[in-house]
Amino acid sequence: MDFVSFALTQCLSALSQAAILFFVACGLTLIFGIMRVVNFAHGVIFMLGAYVGYTAARISGSFIAALIVAPIVVGIAGIAFERLLLRHIYGRREGGSDLLLTFGLAVVLSELIRLAWGAQPLSLPAPEPLLGALFILGQPFPVYRVFLIALGVVAGIGVWQFLERTRAGLLIRAVSQNPEMVHALGVDVGLVRSGVFGLGCAMAALGGVLAAPLLTAFLGMGTNIVIDAFVIVIIGGMGSFLGSVIGSVLVAFVQVIGTYYFAELALAFMYLLMLAVLIVRPGGLLGKEE
Amino acid sequence: MSQDTRRKILKAAVAASALSAVPFISARAQSKAIRIGIPTAITGGYALLGSQAQRTCRLVQKMVNAKGGVIGRPVEFLYQDTAGDPAAAVRKSQELVERDGCRILTGVIVSSEAAAMLPKLEEWNALFISHGNGDGRLTAELYVPRFFRANTSAPMGARALALYLRDTPQKKFMAIASDAAWGRSSNKAFEEQIKKVGKDLVDQVFAPVANKDYSPYITKIMQSGAEGCYVALQGDEARAFYSQAQQYKLPQRVQFYTEIVAQADIKVLGKDAIGLMGSSRYPITYDIPENKTFLEAFRKEHPNELPDWTDGEMYQALMVLFAGIEKAKSDEPMKIVAAMEDLEVTSVKGPIKMRKCDHQGENQGFVVKVAQNKNFSEPVGEIVKIYPREQITPDCRKSSYST
Repeated sequence: MDFVSFALTQCLSALSQAAILFFVACGLTLIFGIMRVVNFAHGVIFMLGAYVGYTAARISGSFIAALIVAPIVVGIAGIAFERLLLRHIYGRREGGSDLLLTFGLAVVLSELIRLAWGAQPLSLPAPEPLLGALFILGQPFPVYRVFLIALGVVAGIGVWQFLERTRAGLLIRAVSQNPEMVHALGVDVGLVRSGVFGLGCAMAALGGVLAAPLLTAFLGMGTNIVIDAFVIVIIGGMGSFLGSVIGSVLVAFVQVIGTYYFAELALAFMYLLMLAVLIVRPGGLLGKEE
Repeated sequence: MSQDTRRKILKAAVAASALSAVPFISARAQSKAIRIGIPTAITGGYALLGSQAQRTCRLVQKMVNAKGGVIGRPVEFLYQDTAGDPAAAVRKSQELVERDGCRILTGVIVSSEAAAMLPKLEEWNALFISHGNGDGRLTAELYVPRFFRANTSAPMGARALALYLRDTPQKKFMAIASDAAWGRSSNKAFEEQIKKVGKDLVDQVFAPVANKDYSPYITKIMQSGAEGCYVALQGDEARAFYSQAQQYKLPQRVQFYTEIVAQADIKVLGKDAIGLMGSSRYPITYDIPENKTFLEAFRKEHPNELPDWTDGEMYQALMVLFAGIEKAKSDEPMKIVAAMEDLEVTSVKGPIKMRKCDHQGENQGFVVKVAQNKNFSEPVGEIVKIYPREQITPDCRKSSYST
């Protein structure tokens, strides 16, 4: 394997990993940006997406159905959680009640998943056309990873355009800047918050479905990825959409290249990167220092 | 009635009631259940292995109690959730011992949990028999008299594979292991063994626990020029690795040899698992009467499932324990310890001897290849080679082999 083909396949591997990280981190940063809620349940929501996707694919026989059904179901569940529980603590967050509530949700949800689907891992394979491998400069590279990169790019541009070009996106940005003013203008801020929480959960669920062919669906599959997502959000800047994109790519590259050259220190590199960013820019690369 | 008379009547009444209670207490003690504590992973990432240990305990409880129990007493299992955390394992075991009166412990999932519990056994006056803890150090550097390991340890699994690889045409190997106590222990034994049989270990890598992306490791394996790859990963790590390796078409270039062939992984991987070779801690296809009895009972209880290595090893550990209790005629921990030393039992994996010098169970070594089998609904490990227990068990109180 020559260096060019090696470097190219490693870059593509990192980008495919970044795509999955982006789906989780983007939802996390949107929720924080609008609601100032640190969602500890985000990893379990990612896992729920994989399990719901498994059931959808099993019933319909289609992986595409899993990609559509899981974000919708989990997004609706997220909206219900926000409307029923989360909204009651917005005014009294001094004691970290948002952390406690979302942590509680994580515990309850993971136990409910275990009771509903059992402890056995579940298989959600990629569809037949995505199972093969492309040969890039003579080196095999999975078609499924190319699909992940493409979907990540499409989703990234889609969310960016949604936030920048639509009225709903304008409202979301406005609520993140000054919710009181937006409310005074007659906008239902509660509805915007519910929508954003649902969107964040739907994106995490989509990430869960996409990760399942690489990892299988199993209890605890969201534990580590949510730590990566928190690191990405801190690197990119809390609440910054573009920051989450850049953070996902940086973390994925550090993980892939670090694992290759210094396998036993790969985890440390991610935290060193975070530390370096925080020293230079305490609010993250594109975040505001508060 | 005078005060003296009243006192005499009271004393007589107390004495009479005490005397009448003696046979009752004795009878109650006779039928009192033998309590076995299972501090296992009910929640968290190891919940699958914990659920397998629990289902086999329930099955064994049903089977044994239907035949009159052990030394004429019923067997009762009490479960506590450790979530695979060593600190929780110590805390929950202490509760089982002190609050629930369980002086016998088993069903612990993670080797680091077992290692944390060993120094406390003396204080708890408890006995601990491992059904699946693989870290070689548990019966070597960390040896304590109250601990027994009925299962195949990590060095024993690696040894069986190395002996098999000695006779294969492949010369160059690579190793990938989980960066945990079990993975390190397995890899160390494999490295030692593979070099001893004259083969070349070109590279070895340790993946962080719960690693997600194996593409850098897969690239390394492809670059190494190895013909075979030793894999000491299990559970979600193993499934992620094999799924991703399949996407890179790696099995077409390199033969995988896994430290543990797990039925749960085979079930999820489906046809992608066919051709995978490895060491088996419980070969489901082993054709002996003891295994047939277990398989029949298991499939009657769980018609849609097949027992995994955890089930087989749990069953074996309990059979060894009950044989020890029968021999000791008591459930007192130290009496069982004495009875289990050099005890020989034939279980689902064939003959096993709990050797006295370090309490490691001498197990046979099995190398299997995953294939379709007409008797099972999903692919299973077909036995390729069985190695005698003398060749598989390490030197006394060591994780290594002098021969």
